[in-house]
Formats: sequence, structure tokens, C-alpha cells
Amino acid sequence: MQSLIAVIIVAWFLSRLFWQKKKGSVNKSEFVFWLIFWLLALALILSLKWLDQLVADLGFSSSAIQVLLYLAVAVLIYFIFRIRLRLAKMEKDISKIVEHLAITKRD
Amino acid sequence: MKIIAVVPAWNEAQTIAQVVGQLKPLLDEVVVVDDASADDTARLAAAAGAVVLRHLLNRGQGAALRTGTRWAFNQDADIVVHFDADGQFSVDDLPALLAPLKAGQADIVFGSRFLRDNSLPPLKRHLIMPLARLINRWLFGIRLTDPQNGLRAFTHEAFTKIIWQEDGMAHCSEILLLAHRRSLRLKEVPMTVIYHHYGQKLSGGIKILKDLVVNKLNR
Repeated sequence: MQSLIAVIIVAWFLSRLFWQKKKGSVNKSEFVFWLIFWLLALALILSLKWLDQLVADLGFSSSAIQVLLYLAVAVLIYFIFRIRLRLAKMEKDISKIVEHLAITKRD
Repeated sequence: MKIIAVVPAWNEAQTIAQVVGQLKPLLDEVVVVDDASADDTARLAAAAGAVVLRHLLNRGQGAALRTGTRWAFNQDADIVVHFDADGQFSVDDLPALLAPLKAGQADIVFGSRFLRDNSLPPLKRHLIMPLARLINRWLFGIRLTDPQNGLRAFTHEAFTKIIWQEDGMAHCSEILLLAHRRSLRLKEVPMTVIYHHYGQKLSGGIKILKDLVVNKLNR
């Protein structure tokens, strides 16, 4: 039942992704990234029994779904880190433009 | 020897004319970088005789200083002086600041509030500045008495080696770090600050540290 709910949720996100692609809201590389992301999530959900065994064999006391949750949090934190770095770079680029305009307008 | 003062200004209409008026007779040129002020800073600075460069968006003191410094050296300045727009610095400190550069004894000269006894606010004197000194010493190996001082002067050659990336207040630490790493000849001279308000708070210091770390990771 839990797996079925998770599959429905992933299916809903996938449908949103295809709809946004159709609308032109996401570019090709962004579409491919999220498509792979959700398909991977779907594959992991459908392999929970096999993953439970794998997690147990690796010596973890928790279930596969818990391990997936920990991994998801780690991935999210990494994405936040990447976004922060990207924002910092954008800030720098804006400063370069502002500086260039200030100097050339005066010259 | 052509000396230009760079004055970053953001909403400094109350003091900018006086600051420009004091600097103008002592230096070859005064350039005010108006960092997208909402008040009359730019107009008043121009009326007082400064060259005014305008940022379309507010980018922070470090960015304004970089804009003004680049422009000044494009105008063949030999030395650039960074001077605050809030009227807290005294032009009486300029001769001592410039002397080592004119004599070729230093590449970059920093003002220090700690080499002369003055009325530094207690929180700043006993907590914020010692903390800043410790961080600079531990992280970067820099031993200067006043790492967050905005009064400095340097040559064109020095500028090519210390072009800072920090847009905000962290530019002070970055300039120090770059000057230290590039083995520039550093000198500190005493200066006086007239406090109208208490300047940076502890939260400001934490933001500077955060900016330095993010900038380091982003390189």
C-alpha cells in the first residue's frame, strides 16, 4: 500500500514535469535531469524488498525506506549548497555588469 | 604623483559634501561611487566637486570601492586612497597614510585605530575587533592591529595584485589576505575615527566571515 501511494505521488510529479515541458517552462537539460531523478525514485520504490535485503546485508539496522530518506535529505542539502554557490556567482556577475556600466557611462 | 580618493557612498547625503570638500584641496581628484542611493548623495557629491560614478543597483561597499579604484587607475592615478563617506575619518591622517607610499617604503598602507588611543566603543574595542584580529591571525596568518579598517592607500601595482572579489564588508579582510599572500610591503599608521554611530555589529562580523567562506568555496 505504501509503495502504491509513493508510485502515485511520483506519477503525479512526472505528469507535472511532462506538462511543464509541453508548456516550455523547463528546458531540455532541466527536463532530462528531473526525468532521471523521478524515474530513479520510482525504481528505488519498486525495489524496496530487494533494497531491504541489501541494507540488512550491509549491516544497517534500519529499513531501506529509512536509508532512502537519509539519502534524500543528504542530496537535498547538497542541492542547497550548489544553489548557494550558484547564487553567489550570479551576484558577482551582476556586480561586474554594474561596475562596467558605472565606469563606461562616466567615461 | 597623481593621487585620487575613492569614496563609496550609500545614502550619505548628510555628510558627502563635507567629506568631498575636505578631500578635494588635498588630492588631485575625488571620485564618489554612489551605490544606488535613494537620497541626494550623487547630486551633492557632484556639486561639491567630485567625479561621481553611479551604481544602478546597490552592490555593497566592496563593489563600490572596486568600481572607483578601477576608474581611478584608468585615469592614470599613481596612488588611490579609500576614504569613508560618513565623515568618520579625518583628512589630517592623510599625510601619514601617504608618506610611506610616496617614499617608496610600502606598497599598501592601512590606517589603524589601535595605534593611537581614541574613543573606540567598548564592544568594538574589547570584543569585535579582538575577534576579527584572532580570525585573521588564525585563518590567514595576518598580524595587523586593525583588520576591518576602511582607510587605506595603495599603488597601481599593488592594486593589480589585490583586486578583491568581495562586494560587501568582507573586502577588508580579503584585501589584507591578498596583500599578505602577494608579499606586498604592508604598513600601518595611526588614525582617528570620529564615531557618529557604532558601525558594524557582531552580526556584521559573522556575515563577513560567512561571505569569506562562501567566496572561498566558490572559487
